Amino acid sequence: MRRVAVTGVGVLGGAVAGGSDAVRAFLARAPGGAAPRAVVRAAGRSTAEASGEMPRAVPAATLSALIDEGEARRLSRACQLSVGAARLALADAGLGPGRDLGLVVGTEFGDLRSTIEFVNGYLRRGPGGLSPLLFPNTVMNTMAAAAAIAVTARELSLTLNAPTVAGELAVARATALVRAGRAPAVLAGGMDQLDPVLLEALAELGGGDARAEGAGFVVLETLDAARARGARVLGEIAGAAWRALPARPYGVGRRPAASGAIAAALADARVAPGEVGSVQLSAAGDVLRDRWEQALVEAALGAHRPRTAALGPVVGRHSGLVALAVAAAAADAGAAGAPALVHAVARGGSEVCLVVTGP
Amino acid sequence: MTAVAVTGLGVVSPFGAGVKAYWDGLAAGVCAIRPVTGIDADGFRCRIAAEVPDGVGGSARRSRADRLALAAAREALDDAGLARRERADAALVVGAVGGGMREAEAWYWERHRRPIRSTRALRAIFPSSHAEVVGSVLGLGGPRETVVAACSSGAAALALAADLVADGAAPLALAGGVDALTRICFMGFNALKLLDPEPCRPFDRDRRGMSVGEGAAFVVLERADRARARGARIWAELAGHGVTTDAYHVTAPHPEGEGMARAMRAALAAAGVGPGAVGYVNAHGTATLQNDRIEARAIRAVFGEGRLLVSSTKSMIGHTMAAAGALEAVATVLALAHELVPPTANLRVPDPAVAFDCVPRVAREAAVELAISNSFGFGGQNVTLCFRRP
Repeated sequence: MRRVAVTGVGVLGGAVAGGSDAVRAFLARAPGGAAPRAVVRAAGRSTAEASGEMPRAVPAATLSALIDEGEARRLSRACQLSVGAARLALADAGLGPGRDLGLVVGTEFGDLRSTIEFVNGYLRRGPGGLSPLLFPNTVMNTMAAAAAIAVTARELSLTLNAPTVAGELAVARATALVRAGRAPAVLAGGMDQLDPVLLEALAELGGGDARAEGAGFVVLETLDAARARGARVLGEIAGAAWRALPARPYGVGRRPAASGAIAAALADARVAPGEVGSVQLSAAGDVLRDRWEQALVEAALGAHRPRTAALGPVVGRHSGLVALAVAAAAADAGAAGAPALVHAVARGGSEVCLVVTGP
Repeated sequence: MTAVAVTGLGVVSPFGAGVKAYWDGLAAGVCAIRPVTGIDADGFRCRIAAEVPDGVGGSARRSRADRLALAAAREALDDAGLARRERADAALVVGAVGGGMREAEAWYWERHRRPIRSTRALRAIFPSSHAEVVGSVLGLGGPRETVVAACSSGAAALALAADLVADGAAPLALAGGVDALTRICFMGFNALKLLDPEPCRPFDRDRRGMSVGEGAAFVVLERADRARARGARIWAELAGHGVTTDAYHVTAPHPEGEGMARAMRAALAAAGVGPGAVGYVNAHGTATLQNDRIEARAIRAVFGEGRLLVSSTKSMIGHTMAAAGALEAVATVLALAHELVPPTANLRVPDPAVAFDCVPRVAREAAVELAISNSFGFGGQNVTLCFRRP
């Protein structure tokens, strides 16, 4: 079985943008230090969001530094965010664009803004108001397509859609691809942006999460390949699993349900529950889901109570947040000499767990 | 690749519910593309589509696409003879694009006219809704994924599910694709001028574009040794797959079909066979000028000219978007099982640039041992599935 190394991180958000150096600096100054211990209990909302300090949007100057003029004209904002974060991650890994690269993009909402613009054209002017240029953006894989072109990723390109867990799922799937030798290196992460209509939909789907726009990717490759090219190894994904939990569509499950993903990921990594040093949670303010996650993690780890943290309340959840969570987990694992978990669970019952070890 | 068997099939197609209706329609070369009834087509150049007839069933509280998915998924699990307890660890991979957009569109259209408070219609808007509904209702507790790969989504779902089974992440998997006809899809392809006002004619010299459709198809995949041990009927073996990206253009395929050819070669390599072993290609065959010409070029690059049977079942059920790859996988499996290659309906004058026997209008008896199904999509997404007769 091939070992999977994390060799690059690229994060593009309102709170932090850059590669692993920028992420490290952000984690050091974020609330709670290297592993921000955001408040994820009953109320779920962090101090930062409650006080309105959480920057939800990526600054224009940050984005324009990563996107050329032609791309800025041609690509939707969702695509620009994806391309920008992909470039940051590849540069961080010291990899140039190449045909042996795969891409797995997780997204909860896709490019809904372009879809709405496309429809508005029809509602305003009938068939003559439809933009053929906007139509491709109505399909969720458009961000992956734009990123694949920008970084010349010609291996498989996947877009995975899921509430809450999309980014974690992308990293888990990419880990499986690299391990099985189906792709030599994979950019994996996610992207989401916000829109007023989307916020209405979220109210229906069960809201409460602190949210922001953003994108983030990690570069995964075999440890052997990383060492052979002298790459800096930030950490390893030692185990990855995703499972469904009993839950009604769009709802949360009953607390006693056992986590299948955590048990499978720990077994995959050959790590005992008591060895886990810390857990990055997906909790971000959806009270019912956050309580469910806490119960799942506690049940899976038995009497052992490692430190838990959640970045969502600090910087706002989006599917690219997984890159920040993996970086934080790897840093934690390296410092503590104990594996860290990245865990996410969604209403509807999708659950993902990654076991991350330090460099 | 560990041998992965196809042990269950389920379909809801423009021929109606069920695998039998689907195969009867394909085998007879019936074109199910008709004037659109489900959405307003006034003012558009093309006003036809292949819609699933009424009577899909299921709760009206669910989106049309969720109901299509649920019906096809149920049939596949029943066909595989899997009791509920045997599904507890089953993986679920759904290829989807439109999600519950049809109902969300209706909500948005109405809101354009008058204020609406309820946002319930948005509940199932995203593609992941299908997996939540199917997984929850049918009790599937293994890995769950929704893959969006444009028009290759359904095929990509089968490829990902096969990997889960082969890697031992799940003992079996339910995989497929679904899409209901949406206004956005119909309007978008009209805006791109990619729709033929008449039923589509893949590989015809005078083809003028595609016809859109809707439907759902699911298959049950499991390790072949496990399937044999439990005495399951094995429809076919999913012998290999190839998934590649053009990284060339957001909508246009690579002009030489480089990514398409790479996907076909990868599928053959995974199956451990050479091009000469393949007897039938269920083509992506959308009937757009560009796709058919480039796909034919890619097929020729991999297989050479002549002998191969190539047909497009989209000529009968239209382009069912995210469902297409799964519906065509089922058609390919059934062609192997029935030793009958479904035809390319509406094909009158073969395009001289397509150097293959495209099985015009009438199904062809052929005891094919190995067949591939091609699915390509916006974003340069290419998936080839390779099936072997058991």
